[in-house]
Amino acid sequence: MIEVRNLKKIYNGITVVDVPALQINKGESVGLVGNNGAGKTTLFRMVLDLIRAESGEILSNGEVVAGHEKWKDYTAAYLDEGFLIDYLTPEEYFYFIGGLHNLNKAHVDEVLTSLTDFFNGEILKKGKYIRDLSKGNQCKVGVAACLLQEPELLMLDEPFANIDPSTQFRLKNLLKDLNKNKGVTTIVSSHDLNHITDVCDRILLMEKGVIIKDIATSSSTLNELEAYFGVMSPSEEKGI
Amino acid sequence: MITTFLGHELKAFWRSKNTGKSIAIRVVMALLILYLFACILFAGLFLDKILEESFPNDDVVISFCGIILLYFLFDLIMRMQLQELPTLRVQPYLHLPVKRNTVVSYLAFTAMLSVFNLWPIILFIPFVLKVILTDSGALPALAFVLAILGFMLFNNYLALFIKRKANLNGWVFLVFIATLGLIITGDFRFHLYSVHNISYLYFGHLLSKPVLVLLPIILAVAMYYINFAYLKQNLYLEELSSRKASAYKSSTEFPLLNRFGKVGDLVANELKLIFRNKRPRSALVMGLFFMFYGLIFYTNSHYGQTWYIFVGMFMTGIFIINYGQFMYSWQAAHFDGLLVSKINFRDFLKAKYLLFTMVSTVAFILTTPYAYFGWHIVLVHFVMYLWNIGVNTTIVLFFANRNAKSINLSKGASFNWEGVGATQMLISFPLMLTPYIIYLPFSLFKHADMGLAMLAAIGIIFVLTRDFWVKKLEEDFMQKRYTIAEGFRNK
Repeated sequence: MIEVRNLKKIYNGITVVDVPALQINKGESVGLVGNNGAGKTTLFRMVLDLIRAESGEILSNGEVVAGHEKWKDYTAAYLDEGFLIDYLTPEEYFYFIGGLHNLNKAHVDEVLTSLTDFFNGEILKKGKYIRDLSKGNQCKVGVAACLLQEPELLMLDEPFANIDPSTQFRLKNLLKDLNKNKGVTTIVSSHDLNHITDVCDRILLMEKGVIIKDIATSSSTLNELEAYFGVMSPSEEKGI
Repeated sequence: MITTFLGHELKAFWRSKNTGKSIAIRVVMALLILYLFACILFAGLFLDKILEESFPNDDVVISFCGIILLYFLFDLIMRMQLQELPTLRVQPYLHLPVKRNTVVSYLAFTAMLSVFNLWPIILFIPFVLKVILTDSGALPALAFVLAILGFMLFNNYLALFIKRKANLNGWVFLVFIATLGLIITGDFRFHLYSVHNISYLYFGHLLSKPVLVLLPIILAVAMYYINFAYLKQNLYLEELSSRKASAYKSSTEFPLLNRFGKVGDLVANELKLIFRNKRPRSALVMGLFFMFYGLIFYTNSHYGQTWYIFVGMFMTGIFIINYGQFMYSWQAAHFDGLLVSKINFRDFLKAKYLLFTMVSTVAFILTTPYAYFGWHIVLVHFVMYLWNIGVNTTIVLFFANRNAKSINLSKGASFNWEGVGATQMLISFPLMLTPYIIYLPFSLFKHADMGLAMLAAIGIIFVLTRDFWVKKLEEDFMQKRYTIAEGFRNK
């Protein structure tokens, strides 16, 4: 699904991402972990062709991502609030995104109804613009907009960070369901090791731009990760 | 503590995005501000001459005394519109062990640092020194200065107090504005009383009885304390913030745009952007005011057709110029989202063209009443309308590809330099000059109508070849997209 070759990104002389080779297969669920500044978001942005790599390339379904638009047909992503059009109401935003994928309103409504639990009554018909929602609720809007696009590849950057425990739980189930039953390839980053080992079959551990570990999740993975992060000085150790 | 606050304030000023601009922009900004300052200083220095001219029958001192309160009445209206609440900046201090009194005095103090508190000083004080000091001596002159400062501070704190109240209850603002409106109409429309006379009554007596200076001082001090007490009681974020208590926001649709498919959806979004955010909304409103621009030129026979081209271009294309010069900065906040979602950039550009065409068409229709000054003027408008939707739209979008400064939509447009960069300076040259480069050679050889026809023809050619320009702009954008997105991410 995704193939990375010799990818490098340098800011002010500091290499922030350096991935010589990475292959993510269709149907995998990949978790990306690493401390702040490890290069997770930068990697995400490069996969989405938002920033230009210094060298190397990323292929999505065999086609180079940079400068092409075909990947947009099957890729949905939510990295931060910058992905939302914040002066729209959530409904308007959903219909807009649906419209881009030629979904009519009825179809969009149907998908939204299926997300009633996930929204927990805080998104629809509240009479608020997206900018007036809390960060957690904005995250729900972003995730829902991704699901609406029925993607083959779903990318979320720290989706668990701002949402309440119930929503975290529901989001985990959603992600598992998408991956196991609908074959969606998911790439999720998180600082919560419990969540990420729960949801993902494969964990990539990044440090200073380099993927230093690539592990298939097993019962010992959580311990292995905790051991890694525990080595760091206590101030850098952050659960969430 | 106050000095620490002030230190932070200075840092905030010097390190803000607006000041961190390139040297060239800062020089231009400084020149503009100096120019404005010089204009008012000039008016202040020669106020006696100006008053003599305007009220030849009255003594200068009498007319001076008469206009002061009038000035402060309009000052209050301007403040209600333009003065910003110096509020959210205290947020980082509220949870720290800093005394509430300190925070509040700091807030109250910084509230004085407004340009509105500069105008009365440079406008009136020179006159006081020039005329009152020489005529009546030092004591009345001092009384005048203190009285003017008193009214100034009273206005300052009254405006802020009303604005703070209005944040909690929108009606306060309306009632206050309506009261001011009634006061003004009562004077100028119904002649029930005269603010001019009241002003003279007070300031005239101030000349002979300087003790009266206590009145504005007491007013100012009282207003300051009301403000102080109110702030102290309501030092909570939601009451301080300038965001209004929000009403239910409903979804809107523009059925007319549905027929344009995805392009229509994009235009609908942009219309919502304009209507739902303060700064683009004021760009639109300013555009509406420009519809009266023609009255200045058409009522005066000095100006010939050469000027009409300029006027016609501005009236039918003010939105393209005023709103378009900041493209795509308006969408800076969600530009990443736009890039990632399934939007064909060609559709994106077509939406811009459609939006410009729609607004320009409306503007052209609104200017048709100028037919009163002759149908020829409407013809010129129509030619410039074609020019606007053909050529100027393309120029503006070409420059949009070179603009990577983000804009905060929620701030007002007045005195707001955010998003202003070299692009906005450069863009004015092609916009202003190109029509004349084409028109003037013809008009100089007495074929002005040929020149108009040329402008129209070029406008039509550009409209007909839009697809070509869209393609070119898209290729251009693909080169520059990373730079633009990067710039927009750096808020």
